[in-house]
Amino acid sequence: MTVTVRERGQATIVDVEGQLTFESTPDLRGHLLKALKKKTPAAVLVNLGAVGYMDSSGIATLVEGLKAAQANQVPFGLCGLSRNLRNVLELVRLDKVFRIFASEDEALQQLAGSLPQDSD
Amino acid sequence: MDATDAVIRIEGLTTHYGTRRILNNINLQVRARETLVLLGASGTGKSTLLRHILALERPTEGHVFINGIDTCRASEEELNRVRRRMGVLFQSGALFGSMTLADNVALPLRELTKLEESTIQIMVRMKLDLVGLTGFGDYMPAQLSGGMRKRAGLARALAMDPEILLFDEPSAGLDPITAAGIDALILNLKKTFPLTMVVVTHELVSAFQIADRIAMLHEGEVIALGTVEEIKQASHPRVQQFLNRVPEEQMRDREAYLRSLTAGF
Amino acid sequence: MGSLLAYVGRGTLNFLRYTGGIARLGKDAAYWTLWAPLRGKGIKGRAAIHQMVLAGVNAVPIVSLISFFVGLVLALQTAYELRKYGGTVYVVNLVAVAMSRQLGPLMTAVIVAGRSASSFAAELGTMKVGEEIDALETIGLNKVKFLVVPKFLALLLVMPCLTLLADLAGIAGGSIFTLYELGMPMGYYWTRATEALLLRDILSGLIKSVVFGIIITMVGCYEGLAVRGGAEGVGRATTSAVVTSITLVIAADMFFSVLFYYLW
Repeated sequence: MTVTVRERGQATIVDVEGQLTFESTPDLRGHLLKALKKKTPAAVLVNLGAVGYMDSSGIATLVEGLKAAQANQVPFGLCGLSRNLRNVLELVRLDKVFRIFASEDEALQQLAGSLPQDSD
Repeated sequence: MDATDAVIRIEGLTTHYGTRRILNNINLQVRARETLVLLGASGTGKSTLLRHILALERPTEGHVFINGIDTCRASEEELNRVRRRMGVLFQSGALFGSMTLADNVALPLRELTKLEESTIQIMVRMKLDLVGLTGFGDYMPAQLSGGMRKRAGLARALAMDPEILLFDEPSAGLDPITAAGIDALILNLKKTFPLTMVVVTHELVSAFQIADRIAMLHEGEVIALGTVEEIKQASHPRVQQFLNRVPEEQMRDREAYLRSLTAGF
Repeated sequence: MGSLLAYVGRGTLNFLRYTGGIARLGKDAAYWTLWAPLRGKGIKGRAAIHQMVLAGVNAVPIVSLISFFVGLVLALQTAYELRKYGGTVYVVNLVAVAMSRQLGPLMTAVIVAGRSASSFAAELGTMKVGEEIDALETIGLNKVKFLVVPKFLALLLVMPCLTLLADLAGIAGGSIFTLYELGMPMGYYWTRATEALLLRDILSGLIKSVVFGIIITMVGCYEGLAVRGGAEGVGRATTSAVVTSITLVIAADMFFSVLFYYLW
């Protein structure tokens, strides 16, 4: 798994590629928390477009990211989920907890448009 | 059937306890994502077979391959790598009595992964939620009913997101409603995760409900193997005896009976 | 005759199997205690401390009390005999040396065997019956590392400490008798006791206590892990753990006493 963090406008985008399993999730966790701590971005978007498989440690890490984002009042979203990943999230009833978008552009439009206070 | 397709492959497995033969030349394959039920009366060796799949016992002869690794000859490290892909629900739940439910579920994660404690906490709660034990994390096993203990055992079995899930008598010792609840949980898991499952049971209803295939054991041998329909139509007298719940016949030979009563005098 | 031979043969085989089992467990425990941590496989520190409290700290009152009584009685009984020769001052030497070389370590071991060998066997036996040991193994965790090593480490550390305490309590017990019965001042008693003791008297006792600790852990854990057949099996294992560990402790005591007598 590789994680790359880039800036697009005011938002921080975290691109994840590969298998998201318990061997690799601590790495993602580090990047997510750092992205939220460094300076307060307008939004954090995790792009899971290139993730084929995600285990429960991956989900837990995303939950941690969401919680940290809410604590900093930063909008937090996921995009590019495959059908498979969506199923996994539905299974643990988290599909309604996360804000999930089809594409990066759509996500940025919506996340940037939303005021921090209604991000949760 | 393609041999490479099999997640669990048992070849010529024979085992003895002392001089008594428990399993005799078992050959079985479990395909990826299928649920195989090992069905049989008590004492037919089905739990022993499960213990061999778990590599808790060594066979006298034969092999058990899991994902192509011969667990009877694997080093401890190889074996542990295989075991990390497996989750087991023991008959009694086998929770560690000195730990809370949350610590029970967290134990494999804490010991075998480098995950942060906060990540582990979230995972533990997700697993407990999955088996319907939301909010029971701080309970000790002794404070729970038998059914809840099994659910918690299942949550622990699922802790590492296993590919293979094994059940030893999941509904034994439970009332019919709780047992049905466990069956429903197994069906739900089967529907949602890409799991390969082996279930040891003597409950017909439960077997018919959850099985893709059934292997019927009698006196340490597989006497019938097939889908639920195939098993229902199997002609083997022992299978029919089991399905129709016919009790073991009394010993009819009077001479033999007399000998059995007076042997040793 | 044939059945007698069979009996002896079976007994010998069982004995060999038992000692073989204990030795294998000891080897594994030594590996996970001494070698594995060096290879970065870690050790259960918190569990070990927990065991030290259970086996060590909680045994302090009973070990002190019993050793105190033993010291007092020892002084009394030796005075009874030495009085005839007018040698009652030697009661001090006798109590000090006997406690440190022999009775301190032995009484401690007997008490710890009664308290801890039984609890090790009961704990592991219950876990075995409840399939907890199987569960641990199928998770991929080593039962020796998780369950035996913390107890092993705890007793390795706790036994010498308890033994020193027992030595002190026993000598103190003797001082009560000499003070009230022989009118010997406390200060004189303790000076004489320390003069009578050689470093090797204390050290040989401590070495023995470490060996006793190993015996008690190994027997207790082995009995627990070998349990078969439910609650009754746990009960049998608990009894057997105490009886066997006390027997082996006394046998080892004899061996080491003879060894130290001739060599040191």
